[in-house]
Amino acid sequence: MNSDKKSHGKDDIGCLGAIEAFYAYLDGELSEPQAIEDFEHHMSHCRSCFSRAEVERLLNRRMRETGTAKAPDELKDRVRRLLDEF
Amino acid sequence: MLAAAIVMTDHEDPKTFFSRGIEENMDALYGTALRLARSGADAEDLVAEAVSRAWSAIETLQDRQRFRPWLFRILHNCFISNYRREVVRPTEEALGADEDEELAALLNEQPDEFLVWWANPEREFFNDMLGSAITAAIDDLPDAFRATIVLVNVEGLTYDEAAEALGVPSGTIRSRMKRGRTLLQKALWRQARDAGITARTDTQRQ
Repeated sequence: MNSDKKSHGKDDIGCLGAIEAFYAYLDGELSEPQAIEDFEHHMSHCRSCFSRAEVERLLNRRMRETGTAKAPDELKDRVRRLLDEF
Repeated sequence: MLAAAIVMTDHEDPKTFFSRGIEENMDALYGTALRLARSGADAEDLVAEAVSRAWSAIETLQDRQRFRPWLFRILHNCFISNYRREVVRPTEEALGADEDEELAALLNEQPDEFLVWWANPEREFFNDMLGSAITAAIDDLPDAFRATIVLVNVEGLTYDEAAEALGVPSGTIRSRMKRGRTLLQKALWRQARDAGITARTDTQRQ
Protein backbone atom coordinates (compact mmCIF):
# COMPACT_ATOMS: atom_id res chain seq x y z
CA MET A 1 0.00 0.00 0.00
CA ASN A 2 1.50 3.27 -0.93
CA SER A 3 0.60 6.90 -0.75
CA ASP A 4 1.50 7.57 -4.37
CA LYS A 5 -1.64 5.77 -5.62
CA LYS A 6 0.26 3.18 -7.65
CA SER A 7 -1.53 1.66 -10.61
CA HIS A 8 -0.45 -1.40 -12.60
CA GLY A 9 -1.84 -0.98 -16.11
CA LYS A 10 -4.79 1.02 -17.38
CA ASP A 11 -7.40 -1.38 -15.98
CA ASP A 12 -5.81 -1.60 -12.56
CA ILE A 13 -7.83 -0.11 -9.72
CA GLY A 14 -4.68 1.24 -8.01
CA CYS A 15 -3.81 1.16 -4.33
CA LEU A 16 -6.58 3.54 -3.31
CA GLY A 17 -9.09 1.46 -5.24
CA ALA A 18 -7.76 -1.58 -3.46
CA ILE A 19 -8.17 0.13 -0.08
CA GLU A 20 -11.81 0.66 -0.95
CA ALA A 21 -12.37 -3.09 -1.21
CA PHE A 22 -9.65 -4.27 1.14
CA TYR A 23 -11.48 -5.25 4.31
CA ALA A 24 -14.67 -6.29 2.55
CA TYR A 25 -12.56 -8.75 0.55
CA LEU A 26 -10.63 -10.06 3.55
CA ASP A 27 -13.84 -10.37 5.58
CA GLY A 28 -15.55 -12.30 2.79
CA GLU A 29 -18.02 -9.47 2.23
CA LEU A 30 -17.12 -8.54 -1.34
CA SER A 31 -19.79 -10.18 -3.49
CA GLU A 32 -19.66 -8.50 -6.91
CA PRO A 33 -17.61 -10.77 -9.25
CA GLN A 34 -16.11 -7.79 -11.11
CA ALA A 35 -15.05 -6.13 -7.86
CA ILE A 36 -13.41 -9.38 -6.70
CA GLU A 37 -11.64 -9.76 -10.05
CA ASP A 38 -10.41 -6.16 -9.99
CA PHE A 39 -9.14 -6.51 -6.45
CA GLU A 40 -7.35 -9.81 -7.10
CA HIS A 41 -5.81 -8.38 -10.27
CA HIS A 42 -4.32 -5.52 -8.27
CA MET A 43 -3.10 -7.90 -5.57
CA SER A 44 -1.32 -10.03 -8.16
CA HIS A 45 0.64 -7.00 -9.36
CA CYS A 46 1.18 -4.86 -6.26
CA ARG A 47 3.66 -6.26 -3.80
CA SER A 48 2.97 -3.72 -1.07
CA CYS A 49 -0.81 -4.30 -1.12
CA PHE A 50 -0.26 -8.06 -1.21
CA SER A 51 2.07 -7.79 1.78
CA ARG A 52 -0.39 -5.66 3.63
CA ALA A 53 -3.11 -8.24 3.00
CA GLU A 54 -0.88 -10.92 4.51
CA VAL A 55 -0.32 -8.80 7.59
CA GLU A 56 -4.03 -8.09 7.87
CA ARG A 57 -4.84 -11.80 7.71
CA LEU A 58 -2.41 -12.46 10.53
CA LEU A 59 -3.88 -9.61 12.52
CA ASN A 60 -7.40 -10.97 11.94
CA ARG A 61 -6.32 -14.33 13.28
CA ARG A 62 -4.60 -12.84 16.31
CA MET A 63 -7.58 -10.62 17.09
CA ARG A 64 -9.88 -13.62 16.99
CA GLU A 65 -7.53 -15.58 19.25
CA THR A 66 -6.84 -12.89 21.80
CA GLY A 67 -9.98 -10.77 21.71
CA THR A 68 -12.42 -13.43 22.78
CA ALA A 69 -13.13 -13.76 26.48
CA LYS A 70 -14.76 -16.34 28.71
CA ALA A 71 -17.68 -15.14 30.79
CA PRO A 72 -16.79 -15.42 34.49
CA ASP A 73 -18.70 -18.04 36.51
CA GLU A 74 -20.14 -15.29 38.71
CA LEU A 75 -21.72 -13.69 35.66
CA LYS A 76 -23.11 -16.99 34.44
CA ASP A 77 -24.69 -17.58 37.87
CA ARG A 78 -26.07 -14.04 37.91
CA VAL A 79 -27.64 -14.45 34.47
CA ARG A 80 -29.04 -17.87 35.38
CA ARG A 81 -30.74 -16.32 38.40
CA LEU A 82 -32.15 -13.61 36.15
CA LEU A 83 -33.48 -16.17 33.69
CA ASP A 84 -35.12 -18.08 36.53
CA GLU A 85 -36.99 -14.93 37.52
CA PHE A 86 -38.41 -14.35 34.04
CA MET B 1 -23.90 -22.71 14.37
CA LEU B 2 -26.55 -20.94 16.34
CA ALA B 3 -28.57 -19.79 13.32
CA ALA B 4 -28.86 -23.37 12.10
CA ALA B 5 -29.86 -24.58 15.56
CA ILE B 6 -32.60 -21.96 15.73
CA VAL B 7 -34.06 -23.09 12.42
CA MET B 8 -34.44 -26.54 13.92
CA THR B 9 -36.20 -25.22 17.00
CA ASP B 10 -38.65 -22.68 15.64
CA HIS B 11 -41.43 -24.15 17.73
CA GLU B 12 -39.52 -23.94 20.98
CA ASP B 13 -41.35 -21.89 23.60
CA PRO B 14 -39.99 -18.34 23.95
CA LYS B 15 -38.49 -18.80 27.41
CA THR B 16 -36.58 -21.98 26.47
CA PHE B 17 -35.46 -20.43 23.18
CA PHE B 18 -34.32 -17.25 24.90
CA SER B 19 -32.45 -19.02 27.71
CA ARG B 20 -30.63 -21.25 25.27
CA GLY B 21 -29.75 -18.29 23.04
CA ILE B 22 -28.34 -16.37 25.99
CA GLU B 23 -26.33 -19.35 27.17
CA GLU B 24 -24.87 -20.00 23.72
CA ASN B 25 -23.89 -16.33 23.34
CA MET B 26 -22.71 -15.72 26.90
CA ASP B 27 -18.98 -15.63 26.12
CA ALA B 28 -19.51 -13.46 23.03
CA LEU B 29 -21.74 -11.08 24.99
CA TYR B 30 -19.22 -10.78 27.78
CA GLY B 31 -16.27 -10.45 25.38
CA THR B 32 -18.00 -7.68 23.46
CA ALA B 33 -19.12 -5.92 26.63
CA LEU B 34 -15.58 -6.14 27.97
CA ARG B 35 -14.12 -4.45 24.90
CA LEU B 36 -16.88 -1.82 24.91
CA ALA B 37 -16.82 -0.96 28.61
CA ARG B 38 -13.11 -1.80 29.11
CA SER B 39 -13.77 -3.00 32.65
CA GLY B 40 -14.72 -6.46 33.86
CA ALA B 41 -17.19 -5.22 36.48
CA ASP B 42 -18.87 -2.83 34.04
CA ALA B 43 -18.98 -5.57 31.41
CA GLU B 44 -20.80 -7.92 33.79
CA ASP B 45 -23.36 -5.21 34.65
CA LEU B 46 -23.79 -4.48 30.95
CA VAL B 47 -24.48 -8.12 30.10
CA ALA B 48 -26.93 -8.53 32.99
CA GLU B 49 -28.81 -5.40 31.95
CA ALA B 50 -28.85 -6.44 28.29
CA VAL B 51 -30.28 -9.86 29.19
CA SER B 52 -33.04 -8.23 31.25
CA ARG B 53 -33.87 -5.71 28.55
CA ALA B 54 -33.77 -8.37 25.86
CA TRP B 55 -36.28 -10.55 27.68
CA SER B 56 -38.56 -7.54 28.20
CA ALA B 57 -38.37 -6.86 24.48
CA ILE B 58 -38.59 -10.48 23.27
CA GLU B 59 -41.75 -9.71 21.29
CA THR B 60 -39.71 -7.32 19.08
CA LEU B 61 -37.68 -10.29 17.81
CA GLN B 62 -39.58 -11.09 14.64
CA ASP B 63 -37.16 -13.59 13.14
CA ARG B 64 -35.47 -16.08 15.44
CA GLN B 65 -32.64 -16.51 12.97
CA ARG B 66 -31.74 -12.87 13.70
CA PHE B 67 -31.44 -13.49 17.43
CA ARG B 68 -27.73 -12.79 17.57
CA PRO B 69 -27.67 -9.33 15.90
CA TRP B 70 -30.87 -8.46 17.80
CA LEU B 71 -29.20 -9.38 21.10
CA PHE B 72 -26.00 -7.47 20.29
CA ARG B 73 -28.04 -4.44 19.35
CA ILE B 74 -29.63 -4.43 22.78
CA LEU B 75 -26.21 -4.85 24.41
CA HIS B 76 -24.85 -1.95 22.36
CA ASN B 77 -27.85 0.24 23.22
CA CYS B 78 -27.27 -0.48 26.91
CA PHE B 79 -23.67 0.56 26.49
CA ILE B 80 -24.59 3.81 24.76
CA SER B 81 -27.26 4.76 27.26
CA ASN B 82 -25.27 3.84 30.35
CA TYR B 83 -21.63 4.47 29.66
CA ARG B 84 -20.70 6.37 26.55
CA ARG B 85 -23.63 8.53 25.53
CA GLU B 86 -21.60 11.72 25.47
CA VAL B 87 -18.81 10.27 23.36
CA VAL B 88 -20.68 8.21 20.78
CA ARG B 89 -22.72 11.05 19.32
CA PRO B 90 -19.81 13.30 18.26
CA THR B 91 -18.07 10.27 16.75
CA GLU B 92 -21.12 9.49 14.64
CA GLU B 93 -21.21 13.06 13.40
CA ALA B 94 -17.55 12.89 12.45
CA LEU B 95 -18.34 9.88 10.28
CA GLY B 96 -20.32 12.15 7.99
CA ALA B 97 -17.13 13.69 6.60
CA ASP B 98 -15.66 12.53 3.30
CA GLU B 99 -14.26 9.24 4.47
CA ASP B 100 -12.17 8.37 1.43
CA GLU B 101 -10.36 11.67 1.61
CA GLU B 102 -9.80 11.16 5.31
CA LEU B 103 -8.50 7.66 4.74
CA ALA B 104 -6.14 8.79 2.00
CA ALA B 105 -4.92 11.57 4.29
CA LEU B 106 -4.43 9.05 7.07
CA LEU B 107 -2.29 6.86 4.82
CA ASN B 108 -0.29 9.84 3.66
CA GLU B 109 0.40 10.76 7.26
CA GLN B 110 2.09 7.43 7.85
CA PRO B 111 5.86 7.81 7.93
CA ASP B 112 7.96 6.37 5.10
CA GLU B 113 9.44 3.72 7.34
CA PHE B 114 5.91 2.50 8.04
CA LEU B 115 5.29 2.01 4.32
CA VAL B 116 8.63 0.24 3.96
CA TRP B 117 7.66 -1.97 6.84
CA TRP B 118 4.33 -2.79 5.22
CA ALA B 119 6.10 -3.71 2.02
CA ASN B 120 8.43 -6.03 3.94
CA PRO B 121 6.28 -7.34 6.74
CA GLU B 122 8.02 -8.80 9.71
CA ARG B 123 5.70 -11.77 9.94
CA GLU B 124 6.84 -12.79 13.36
CA PHE B 125 5.69 -9.44 14.65
CA PHE B 126 2.03 -10.28 15.12
CA ASN B 127 2.83 -13.77 16.32
CA ASP B 128 5.15 -12.34 18.93
CA MET B 129 2.92 -9.46 19.85
CA LEU B 130 1.27 -10.13 23.18
CA GLY B 131 -2.48 -10.52 23.21
CA SER B 132 -2.66 -7.74 25.74
CA ALA B 133 -0.98 -5.38 23.27
CA ILE B 134 -3.58 -6.14 20.62
CA THR B 135 -6.50 -5.75 23.01
CA ALA B 136 -4.96 -2.50 24.32
CA ALA B 137 -4.80 -1.18 20.75
CA ILE B 138 -8.45 -2.17 20.20
CA ASP B 139 -9.45 -0.55 23.49
CA ASP B 140 -7.87 2.74 22.37
CA LEU B 141 -10.09 2.99 19.28
CA PRO B 142 -13.00 5.46 19.31
CA ASP B 143 -16.29 3.80 20.34
CA ALA B 144 -17.87 3.44 16.90
CA PHE B 145 -14.81 1.77 15.37
CA ARG B 146 -14.13 -0.36 18.43
CA ALA B 147 -17.68 -1.73 18.47
CA THR B 148 -17.56 -2.51 14.75
CA ILE B 149 -14.18 -4.23 14.84
CA VAL B 150 -15.05 -6.29 17.91
CA LEU B 151 -18.33 -7.52 16.41
CA VAL B 152 -16.83 -8.35 13.00
CA ASN B 153 -13.24 -9.38 13.68
CA VAL B 154 -13.49 -10.83 17.17
CA GLU B 155 -17.04 -12.17 17.40
CA GLY B 156 -17.37 -13.03 13.71
CA LEU B 157 -20.62 -11.23 12.83
CA THR B 158 -21.23 -10.53 9.14
CA TYR B 159 -21.37 -6.89 8.01
CA ASP B 160 -25.18 -7.16 7.78
CA GLU B 161 -25.42 -8.57 11.29
CA ALA B 162 -23.05 -5.90 12.64
CA ALA B 163 -25.10 -3.22 10.87
CA GLU B 164 -28.24 -4.56 12.51
CA ALA B 165 -26.52 -4.78 15.88
CA LEU B 166 -25.25 -1.21 15.71
CA GLY B 167 -28.32 0.26 14.04
CA VAL B 168 -26.46 1.64 11.01
CA PRO B 169 -26.48 0.86 7.25
CA SER B 170 -24.13 -1.85 5.93
CA GLY B 171 -22.16 0.80 4.05
CA THR B 172 -21.30 2.42 7.35
CA ILE B 173 -19.84 -0.87 8.59
CA ARG B 174 -17.62 -0.99 5.50
CA SER B 175 -16.45 2.57 6.11
CA ARG B 176 -15.82 1.93 9.77
CA MET B 177 -13.82 -1.20 8.99
CA LYS B 178 -11.55 0.79 6.68
CA ARG B 179 -10.96 3.64 9.06
CA GLY B 180 -10.98 1.58 12.22
CA ARG B 181 -8.49 -0.94 10.90
CA THR B 182 -6.24 1.83 9.62
CA LEU B 183 -6.28 3.44 13.07
CA LEU B 184 -5.54 0.04 14.58
CA GLN B 185 -2.56 -0.44 12.27
CA LYS B 186 -1.19 2.94 13.27
CA ALA B 187 -1.54 2.08 16.96
CA LEU B 188 0.20 -1.28 16.46
CA TRP B 189 2.89 0.39 14.42
CA ARG B 190 3.58 2.83 17.25
CA GLN B 191 3.79 -0.06 19.70
CA ALA B 192 6.20 -1.88 17.39
CA ARG B 193 8.32 1.22 17.01
CA ASP B 194 8.31 1.96 20.74
CA ALA B 195 9.26 -1.65 21.47
CA GLY B 196 12.13 -1.38 18.98
CA ILE B 197 10.72 -4.18 16.81
CA THR B 198 10.70 -2.24 13.55
CA ALA B 199 14.08 -0.67 14.28
CA ARG B 200 15.48 -4.17 14.69
CA THR B 201 13.90 -5.16 11.38
CA ASP B 202 15.54 -2.20 9.65
CA THR B 203 18.92 -3.18 11.04
CA GLN B 204 18.53 -6.76 9.85
CA ARG B 205 17.61 -5.56 6.41
CA GLN B 206 20.80 -3.51 5.96
